[in-house]
Amino acid sequence: MALLEDTKLEQRYPVEFTGSAGEYFRIWIVNLVLTILTLGIYSAWAKVRKKRYFHGHTRIDGDAFEYRGRPIAILKGRLIAVAAVALFYGTANFEPSLLWVLAIVAACAAPWLIVRSMAFNAYSTAYRNIRLRFRGTYLKCFGLLLWIGFILVVTFGLAYPYFKARLMEFVFRNHSYGTTAFELSEVSYFGTYVRAVGLGILLGILLTLLNFAVLGVFGPRSAAGAALATLFAYVGYLYIFCYMRANIANTTWNLVRIGKVRFECALRTDDLFVLYLVNIIAIVATVGLATPWAVIRAMRYRAQKMTVFAADGLESFVAAESAEVSAAGQEIGEMFDFDLSL
Amino acid sequence: MIEFDAVFYDGRTSARNAVRVRGYSQTLVIEGAGIRLEVPLAQVRVEPPVSGTRRVLHLPGGAQLQTDDDAALTGLFPRSNPLETWVHGLERRWPYALAAVAVAAVFSWWCVVYGLPLAAKLASGLVPPRIEAKLGEQTLESIDQTICGPTAIDARKQGELRRGFAALTAGLGDGYTYRLELRACKGMGPNAFALPGGAIVLTDDLVKLAENDAQISAVLAHEVGHVRYRHGLRLAIQAAGLAALIAALAGDAVTITGLAVTLPTALLQSGYSREFEDQADSYAFVRLKEIGSSPKYFAQILARIDESRNKGDGANKNGKQSGGAGRDFGYLSTHPATAQRIERALQNQ
Repeated sequence: MALLEDTKLEQRYPVEFTGSAGEYFRIWIVNLVLTILTLGIYSAWAKVRKKRYFHGHTRIDGDAFEYRGRPIAILKGRLIAVAAVALFYGTANFEPSLLWVLAIVAACAAPWLIVRSMAFNAYSTAYRNIRLRFRGTYLKCFGLLLWIGFILVVTFGLAYPYFKARLMEFVFRNHSYGTTAFELSEVSYFGTYVRAVGLGILLGILLTLLNFAVLGVFGPRSAAGAALATLFAYVGYLYIFCYMRANIANTTWNLVRIGKVRFECALRTDDLFVLYLVNIIAIVATVGLATPWAVIRAMRYRAQKMTVFAADGLESFVAAESAEVSAAGQEIGEMFDFDLSL
Repeated sequence: MIEFDAVFYDGRTSARNAVRVRGYSQTLVIEGAGIRLEVPLAQVRVEPPVSGTRRVLHLPGGAQLQTDDDAALTGLFPRSNPLETWVHGLERRWPYALAAVAVAAVFSWWCVVYGLPLAAKLASGLVPPRIEAKLGEQTLESIDQTICGPTAIDARKQGELRRGFAALTAGLGDGYTYRLELRACKGMGPNAFALPGGAIVLTDDLVKLAENDAQISAVLAHEVGHVRYRHGLRLAIQAAGLAALIAALAGDAVTITGLAVTLPTALLQSGYSREFEDQADSYAFVRLKEIGSSPKYFAQILARIDESRNKGDGANKNGKQSGGAGRDFGYLSTHPATAQRIERALQNQ
C-alpha cells in the first residue's frame, strides 16, 4: 500500500490570475467617481464589483472563484461602522472620561468583529458553486485573545511569533470548503522572526554606515541628508516586511490541507521587495493613478507562486448548509483597521 | 430561441458538467450527460456582468450555470440588474474612464482647497463653547505633564504681563474667557500658542527674548486671533477629514503606500496652518491698533524669534508640532514666510 502514496498520484493545478491592469483601472476609477458622486453610498457596490473582478479572474483548473457578498449587506455594515467610529472619536475628543467604558465595549466586541468578518468573507466566496465557511466562535476567539494577551504581557512581547502562529491556526482550522475542513498542522514562526531580527540588525548596521557616508557628502544637519536617511530606513523596513510576508505565507500555506488537497506557496523576498518598491514609486509618481496597475501586478505574482495539488481531483467536495452572515463585523473591522486577511 | 454552452454545478458537490442550454421565451432547457432540466426563466437569478469574468446564473434549488456567452445572456435577460449593467457599460469604455479621472482630480482639488476648510468651519460652529474649553484644558494638562513646567518668572513681572493681557482682551465680548498661562517649556524655545477655548500659553523664553511688553502683547494678540477663529478646533477637524479623504481615495493601496500618504498629508496640513497664521496676523494688526499699540511690535518680535532660531542653539529650538490643538507661533520659522509676515506687519502699521 505504501507504494500508492497519495503524493504519487497527485494532480497539479496552477493558480491563474487573468485580470488586466487596463480593465481593472476602468473599474477602479468608475468605482471612485460613483462613490464620490453618491457621497459614499456607492462604496458598497464598488467593493462588490472590485471583489467580483478579483475573484472572477482567479482560476484553478479552469474554474473561477465567485464573490457573492450583497451590496446592501455591506452598506448596512458600513453605516454601523461609521456610527461606531463617530461614537469613538466623539467620546475620545469630548468626553474622554468615559473612554474606559468604550474600551471595555471594544475589547468585548473585538472577537465578535473578527469572527463575523471572517464568516462573512468566507460565506461570500464560492468555487464551483460551493461556498467557503468559517465556524470560529466568539468564545473561542475571546479565549484565544485573552490567553495570548496574557502571554504577550508576561513575556514583554517576545512571544509574538507564538501569538501569530496560534492566530493563524485559529483562522485556518475554522475554515472549511463545503463540508471539508481546512487542516493546518502545528505551525511555528520562531525561525522566521529570529532571522528577521537578525536581518534587521544587519540592515541597521549597513544603514548606519550609509548614513555616515551621506552625512559626509551633505554635511551634518542638512535637510537632504535627513531625507535620504529616512528614505533608506523605509527601504530597509520594506525589505524586512517582504521577508516576513513571504516566509509566513510560504510556511503556512505549505502546511494547509483541505481533504486531499495541498498547496505550494513559493513567494520570494527579493521578488516581493522589487514588486512593492516599483509599486510604491509608480503610485507616488502618478498621484495614485497607477494603483490598479500595482494591485493587479501583486495579485498576478501571488497567484503565479501558488500551486494546488489534489490527490483525488477537485470534483468530489460536498456543500454544506449555512446560515446567512451579516457584513457588519467585517466593515467595522476595516474602519478600525484591523484587517486580518492573509 | 437562444442556445449557448455552459458549465453546470448542482450546488451539492464540486463536480462540473458541460451542458448545452436552450433558452425559450419562458424557460431554460439544460441538457448534458445525465442531466435534463427545465427551469422557468422567472426563477433564474442572473449575476451582473464584470469585465473578463464568466457570467453566473443561479438556478432554483442552489444549482448554477456559468458561461462565457455574454451575448446570449443579454438576449435572454435584457432587463436584469439595470444598475450594474449600466455601470458595466461605463467600466468598459476608455472615454468614460478618462472623464472619471478628470472628475476625481477636480473633486480632490476642490475638497482640499475649499471643501474641507469650509466643512471644518461649519462643523466647528456646532461644537459648544463648553466642550471647546474642555478640549483646551485637556491639551494644557497633557502639555503640563510632558513638556512644560511652572514658570520661573518673578511675581512683579508676572503682574505686569497679566495687566497687559487684561488690556488686550478687555471688552472683546466674543464669549471666550481668555487666560494667560505662563510656563517654562523645555525644547520649545521662545514660543506662544493658543488652546481652544481661550487659554494662551506663553513660554518663559519668549518673555526673556522680548525687548518690551508691547512686543509680548503683539504675540498675544496673534494668539487671541487663533482663539476667536477657533483655529485649533478647525485644524483638528480638517486633519481628520483629510485622513478620511485620502483613505477613501487611496482605497486598496493604503497598505503598501503608508509613506506615500503621510507626506502629502503633512504638506497639506502645513498649508492650512499657514492660512490660519495669516488670518491670526491680520486680526493682531487690527487689535493692536485698537488698543493704541502698533503692528510694528509684531514685526520686531517675529524678527527676534527668527534670529534666535537661526543661531541654531540646538536642534531642539526648531519649533514643535503640538498635535492639532493650537498651532504654535514659531511653527513658521521657514524663512521666506517669516520675511513675508514681517513685511505685512510693517505695511499694516
